[in-house]
Amino acid sequence: MDNTFQNTEKLYRAVYPPEVADIFWKKDGSISSAAFADPKGLSVERGDYRKDNDVISSMRKKFSGHIISLYVKNCTDTGAVVIYTPSRTNIYHSEIHGNEKTALLSKSQRRYLANHAVILTPRPL
Amino acid sequence: MTIAKQAQIRTNIKQYFDMAYEGEAVIVPRKQGKNVVIISENEYNRLNQAVRVAAYATAVSETKEHKPESAKHHAEENNKTHNLEKLKTIRSFKKNWNGNNAPSFPKRLMDKAENLINGLTIQPEIFPTALCTIQLEYDNARRDHMEIEIGLSDTAEIFIVKYNGEEIYETIPADADAINAKAGDFYG
Repeated sequence: MDNTFQNTEKLYRAVYPPEVADIFWKKDGSISSAAFADPKGLSVERGDYRKDNDVISSMRKKFSGHIISLYVKNCTDTGAVVIYTPSRTNIYHSEIHGNEKTALLSKSQRRYLANHAVILTPRPL
Repeated sequence: MTIAKQAQIRTNIKQYFDMAYEGEAVIVPRKQGKNVVIISENEYNRLNQAVRVAAYATAVSETKEHKPESAKHHAEENNKTHNLEKLKTIRSFKKNWNGNNAPSFPKRLMDKAENLINGLTIQPEIFPTALCTIQLEYDNARRDHMEIEIGLSDTAEIFIVKYNGEEIYETIPADADAINAKAGDFYG
């Protein structure tokens, strides 16, 4: 893996807080754009073309809540940038920023990504 | 329908009564518009029946119109209760609730949000953000979407995405009256 992302690569995000899994879920089963507002940028795990189930199993080892996925293309379509930020504990760690200078996604970007997010784990009731 | 003067009626009363009996109404014009109509007993009964049916239909219709209003009010009360419960949960969030060092929500903000929810006639869906704000969301039947972000400031940021993708940004006072007006416009 390097710093480049193809549009077809998937990004996975754990929706916090795991103990209140439905806090960001709307009545229609979609996810609120509020889940994409983070002044430090949106932490994600890059897929590196692994299978969804493999990524979920891996994330489940440290997280019990819900997991959503996006394509890199969803981010670039709305002007957001994906930055590869691996850590010692997670070689897949990446971040989605609003642009090169600002980590926070704009309201428009948040809404766009919320609309394109795929909820991979069972939705809360 | 036949129109006959009083003098004609007096002269040919049996003829006009027979006409009325056969189902033809006889209108008798009088001064100052005090006209009368001669109809058969059968016709009179039929009209009375029609009036009763119409009155019943109106009563049923009014009941139906009131029932959804009552159900709507009940639903809004349920939504308010749900939102107040959700605010309690958000109040309990500790620092780092989002796994990325988000701060907990200050009491002043949560009190403000609770007051707002209690004052809103159309209840939104509510969500916390890691920006230490509460996001109110409305979606209407046209598929427009409206977000109102409430923080500690006296103003609230509005973001609307219309069904055709048009985006609108506004700022309004962060009080229930202003939000009620905006929500009313949104659903109007």
